[in-house]
Amino acid sequence: MPRRRILVLVVLGLTLVLAAVLFFLRGGWEKPWTEEEIPVSGDTAPPPGETEMKKVLLFFPSEADELLHPEEREIVSGPTVEREARRLVEELINGSRTGLISPIPPESQLRQLFITREGTAVVDFSKEFGDRHPSGTSAEMATVFCLVNSLTRNFSSIKRVFILVNGNERETLNGHISLAKPFPPASSLIAE
Amino acid sequence: MTNTPHRPAAVLLAALLFSSLAAQQSVTVRVQVRDYPDFTRLTLESSDRLETSLTRTGGTLEISVDSPAALRLQTAPVSSRLIRSVAWGRREGRQVLTVGLKSSDFTYQAFTANRPFQLMVDFREGESAAPPPAREKSDAPPPVARTTPRPSSGVRTIVLDPGHGGIEPGAKGRFGALEKDITLAIGLKLKAVIERNLSFRVIMTRDKDVAVSLENRAALANNNDALLFISIHANGSYKKSSHGSETFFLSLNASDEEVRRLAYFENTQGELEGHLAAQEEEQDVLRMILWDMAQAAHIRQSSRLAELIQTELNTLLGTANRGIKQAPFKVLAEVACPAVLVETAFLSNPEEERRLVNDEFQNQVAQAIFQGLVSYIRLYPPEGGR
Repeated sequence: MPRRRILVLVVLGLTLVLAAVLFFLRGGWEKPWTEEEIPVSGDTAPPPGETEMKKVLLFFPSEADELLHPEEREIVSGPTVEREARRLVEELINGSRTGLISPIPPESQLRQLFITREGTAVVDFSKEFGDRHPSGTSAEMATVFCLVNSLTRNFSSIKRVFILVNGNERETLNGHISLAKPFPPASSLIAE
Repeated sequence: MTNTPHRPAAVLLAALLFSSLAAQQSVTVRVQVRDYPDFTRLTLESSDRLETSLTRTGGTLEISVDSPAALRLQTAPVSSRLIRSVAWGRREGRQVLTVGLKSSDFTYQAFTANRPFQLMVDFREGESAAPPPAREKSDAPPPVARTTPRPSSGVRTIVLDPGHGGIEPGAKGRFGALEKDITLAIGLKLKAVIERNLSFRVIMTRDKDVAVSLENRAALANNNDALLFISIHANGSYKKSSHGSETFFLSLNASDEEVRRLAYFENTQGELEGHLAAQEEEQDVLRMILWDMAQAAHIRQSSRLAELIQTELNTLLGTANRGIKQAPFKVLAEVACPAVLVETAFLSNPEEERRLVNDEFQNQVAQAIFQGLVSYIRLYPPEGGR
């Protein structure tokens, strides 16, 4: 009887180990929320000895028309698409350098960005992204598609963008546009 | 003795088997509340026959449900003239639905139907069982209502939704005008114009400066079986020079595959609803998809309504025509009738802000939306309740 009990314990133990292994393997592409994952300020700084740059196109609204206009920017390249995408979003928060409109509240911080296997970039902003937004249908559309079109244009693995605020789903950006579903890009909004 | 280690495992296995069997046999019970012109109907629907008994105490009615199978209980958010709340509880092994009325001065009539099983309870205000006669306005010859076939179930409802309210101001103008105040002023004016000219019941999602959740705005339209839902807003842009009026309907913001699925729903809606009513359990998923994207089934008519309203805005306002557009508005997504959102003009543009706070301009906006509404009703005369 004790032998049988030991056998049961061994099987249980093995199951646990297997479960843990599976959990961490899966965690590779959909990382669980942890404090360590929140990018520290050094994240976007070029790592010493490796400063290969990459050209990207950011899309900002313009005073001239209702469209999004491209603005070239250089970001540090590699090592992963997620790292590059984070740098791109941080450049979007920093805003235009060529006199276009910067539609993401500058107080916003990028908390997290990851890309699911299905090609959805989940972008988590601090609460200022919604709370400091001026509200209004046009303004909210400009913010959403500045982000969505910039990310999908520069990274082919990103098909759509799902926006979180402060780690949570938010009903609307600031009273109008629903954030309940991922956004596919709207190429009709791009001036070309 | 050697059997003892097996016993817990056997019990566990039996419990698992039993619970999975029970889960398979569980019966879904849905509760819906809908306001009609002279009564409010609560419908309790289930795929299996249920034994029910009703007990009235003061301002509450308790519906006790008995069934050999396990029950899966569902309720939608309630927003009704007479019913305050609906909640499931358990007493002496039976499921009890407690219906809270807003007043204890009510009468009710209950009746059942089968396949699927339905218990319908009609609530009326007042002690007398006789429903008050539905009054129709006879003054001011209505341009449309006269030619409109009057449904036997009574007057249809138009829901007007002044955007924002309370702690949620919406867009702000440079001179301090708030979107919530402008939308309410225009909404009240539009309500008056409709009531003066047409025989529709007009319900406002808010008629004062209060916050109302977007979910409740949609629920109000759905619970009243609304004919149309019109949300009124004033636009805000980062671009100072943005100006003009535009009318939106919902964009589904969906992948190609979802668009195909939704198009299927739109084309086969009547068929599908009949199908759903007769089916059970496995169709729950479909029904949930429909509710989640209730507006998807009405996109075509919503776009028509948007066009007709936009045409009138162009004629009457002298604002720039920004056309009809689609965007994923939370407030439109769950509305189960044709629904549009009117962006009257830009609060972020100082010149238009000045116009938006002007009483005469607000009257013109109300008049333009009203004219669009009239054109729409000529095209799609209401056929009465579902």
